[in-house]
Order: sequence, then structure tokens, then C-alpha cells
Amino acid sequence: MKDLNIWQEHPILEVQNLTVLRGKHIAVNRVSFNIFPGSNTAIIGPNGAGKSTLIQAILGLIPIQSGEVQFLGRSINQLGRRCQALGYIPQKLNFDRNFPITVGELVSLALPQSLFFRKRKRQIAVQSALVKVHLEHLAKQPIGTLSGGELKRVLLAYCLVVPRQLLILDEAMAEVDAKGEAEFAELLKNLQQDQGFAILQISHDLDMVSRHCDRVLCLNRHICCQGEPSQTLSSKNLEAVYGSSLTRYFHSC
Amino acid sequence: MIESFEWIELFSFPFMQRAILGGILLGIIGGLLGGFIVLRKLSMLGNTLSHVALIPVVMSALFQLPTTLCLVGFLMITGVAILYLIDRTNLGSDTILGIMVAGSIALGMIGFTLIQGYRGNLLSILFGDILTISNLDLILLTVLLIIIIVSIIWTLPQQILLTFNPELAKTQGILVNPYRYGFIILLSLMIALTIRSVGILLVNAFLVIPAATAQLICDEFVPFLIVAATFGAVSSVLGMMISGIWNLPSGPSIVLVQLISFTLTLLFYRRRLSMF
Repeated sequence: MKDLNIWQEHPILEVQNLTVLRGKHIAVNRVSFNIFPGSNTAIIGPNGAGKSTLIQAILGLIPIQSGEVQFLGRSINQLGRRCQALGYIPQKLNFDRNFPITVGELVSLALPQSLFFRKRKRQIAVQSALVKVHLEHLAKQPIGTLSGGELKRVLLAYCLVVPRQLLILDEAMAEVDAKGEAEFAELLKNLQQDQGFAILQISHDLDMVSRHCDRVLCLNRHICCQGEPSQTLSSKNLEAVYGSSLTRYFHSC
Repeated sequence: MIESFEWIELFSFPFMQRAILGGILLGIIGGLLGGFIVLRKLSMLGNTLSHVALIPVVMSALFQLPTTLCLVGFLMITGVAILYLIDRTNLGSDTILGIMVAGSIALGMIGFTLIQGYRGNLLSILFGDILTISNLDLILLTVLLIIIIVSIIWTLPQQILLTFNPELAKTQGILVNPYRYGFIILLSLMIALTIRSVGILLVNAFLVIPAATAQLICDEFVPFLIVAATFGAVSSVLGMMISGIWNLPSGPSIVLVQLISFTLTLLFYRRRLSMF
């Protein structure tokens, strides 16, 4: 476990009193938390708790009613090139399966778009990112032919082709089987240890959260509790977030 | 059918050479813009803008204004307005486009009846006549092609990403709206400059069919755009030849070639079809 005191000095993401509306309803109410370098934070909560809304607001994809989101000391809407330091893997990537683009082409789109960034350098960076996610053999494969698990790993390569300080994952493994999910979690953990980026992820898998995350935010429109998983994922807290009918089942893979 | 020496002579006429050159330019422009239109599922937008063109055509006749200027100005403003309405209302884009098409035809036809004296031929507005393309039209089309090629080269990764998934593009710091509105302006310009050559009813074919054909063949984006532009240009030349040999209307002949190319490609690459 990393030293929390070191993190607390310089958060890379600061969310202050964030309130977001969905239509006329308050989807996220006065949420505040910080993300520190190298940390792995999970957001848990029942369906409709505002988890994806919170992530979309942090990313600047939907308007904020009140509050503030700062990434690397800048408002999320004024990031400019600092966006390069933030990677995002959505829950479901909506795209045309017949879109004429290969895995290598898609990954290369995350690279700086400078004309001086030469083709050879670009190819090396793409190949290196695909090697990291063990998909180097799929570089020429059309994106529409990939399985759900492969697609998620390609998106991870897309995120990691440039150095990132924060990866945001919105239920990244939602449509992948248990084996693929476990492999992805392990891959993510190894890459994080290797490259030191922070992770903010939404997950419904409390077992995975217990094993891989060092901090957990329990959300049900507002933050019900937060802290280290061993202390936060207590029956009492989970009942407060999910309701009294929650029963946890652990899986072994 | 005319004799071979006659059609060789036909192609030596300046109006025919201009028409072929115009067809090639139009095919390339249509293929390049159409690539994005097909992938962004905006083919109805091209169709709508071409119908909207009826209004400035009638306006220019009513008020004795320069047609090209009217078309360029009106279509650019309308294109931007359509996108704005799609973004800012909770109506579906197909609903807004449907309203615009119906409104344009109604206004255009009413305006058409108000024109005093010679009204020209309505069919020429609907189907166009590429043989009437002027040197000025060719210059304008060439300038537009250069602008489009430079824009695509300059912004290709951003355009690909926002075409692939706008959400991913936004998180990458790409300002999606300037690219979208810029694209609509280019599309409006293309339709404004070509509507008299190929007509309201057929201009959308130049945008959709070559790009759809290329999509059946290509797995990579840049080759996809190149193949779409090539299909557009080759179809124009072949269509003009068919038109000359069998004395058929030029615009429909080009679209017929595009349609045949698409059908043959569909049959050849039938692995792309889930029905086979």
C-alpha cells in the first residue's frame, strides 16, 4: 500500500462540490474527492447512483451545474494539450463495426498530431503500445472484427501510446467474461506498476475492488463513504449504499 | 448509338472537355466529403441541403441576383442552421431534415410560380446539366478541391477520431464543434457549386455511392478516402462516355455508372453482407 500522506500533497485530479443535473433531476450532488498520482480508486454504487454521470462531468462531456473539476491544476474545460495526460475507456464504445480503420490506425490517433511526428516514430509507438497489451499481432486487423475483450485492450493501448497521468475507466469490463475481466485487471495492474499512472474506475466487482484498488468511493448521488477498501467495504457501509438486501459473493479467478 | 469517330469528335468539343473535367473534380470532391458523410451517417444531410438549394435558385431568378452567390450564401447559412437545430433541440436529426426538405420544396415551388416571364426548365434544376459547366465553375471547383484536400490533410486524425467516436475525440481535447461546422460549410459549398451541373435530385449520389462502394472494399481509412475519390472520378468519366455514345442525359448516366460499380462491388465483396 502506498503512502497516502505523499499523495495528499499533490492531487492530480480535484473534484470540489460537484453537482450535475440530468434533465431536472440531481444526478450527482455536491461530490468532492481527490485523486493522487499512482493511486487506484474505484467508484462503486448501485445503478442510477450517478457514477457514469460523475465520470462524464469530470471528462467535460456533460455540463456541470456547480462545483469545480481541476486536472493538473487547471479547470477541465481549459485543459488544451493537458488532455494528453488523461486517458478514458468508456463502458461501451459506440462505433460502426464497418468503419474502415485498423487497430494500428486507431491507436495512432492518440499520438500528438504534429506534422513533425514522423511516420516511423508513430509506427514504433503504436507497436510498442500494442505489445504492452499483448495485441501486437492485431495491428493490421480491422477494428470491427475484434472481440469485446480485444477491443478493450486496444482501447487500453490507445490510452497508453502516450504517457498518461490518469486513466478513467467507466465499467471498462462490463461486456467481457469473467476470465477476460480478470486478465484485464491483472494487465492494468502490471501496467500501472510499470508506468505509475493513477486509475479512477467505476466497478460493480467488489472483489476486484478489494484486491486491486487502494481507495474506494461509495456513491449514491452523493458520496456515502470513502477510504481504503478493507475499511470502506464493510457490510454496514455497503448496506448504506446499496440497501439492506446486498449479499456479497466472492469469485476465485 | 453514334459511330466511334463521331464520339471521338464529340469529346474534342470544349464544352465536353469542360464537362469531363468538371465531372472528375465533382467525383473527387464527392468521394472525399462523402467518405465522412457515409461514416457519420449524414447522407440525409446532403440530400436536405440539395433540396434547400431550390430556394436560392428561385430567389436568384426572382430578384435577378447572381445564382452562384445566392447558392453559396444561402446553403452555408442553412447548413450551419440545420446543425445548430439538431444540436439545440430535442428533436431527432431525421425529423429536422424532413422538415427542411418539405419546407424547401414548398417555398421553392411557390417562388417558382412567382417568377415573371421565362421560368427556365424545372427539370434542369432537378437533374442539372453538366454540359453547361463554365470555366468559372471549373475554377471554383478546383479551388474547393484544394481547400478540401488541405483541410483533410491538416485535420485528418481529428476528423477520423470524431467520425469514429465523438466522445473519445472530446476526451482527447478535440473541439468537436468547429470541425463539425467547418465540415458542413465545405459540404454546403460543394452542393452550391455543383447543383446546376448535376441537379437537386442527383447531387447526393456523388456523395453517397462512391463512398459506400469504397467502404465495401477498404479496411483502412486513408485508402478508403482515396478509393472513394477514385470511384467518383472514374464514374464521372465513364458516365460522360456512356452519355456521349448513347446520347443519354449526363448526370443520370454518371449516377448509373456509380450504381453499377456499387452493385458489382457488393456482389464481389459479399462477405460484407450478413445476408449471404
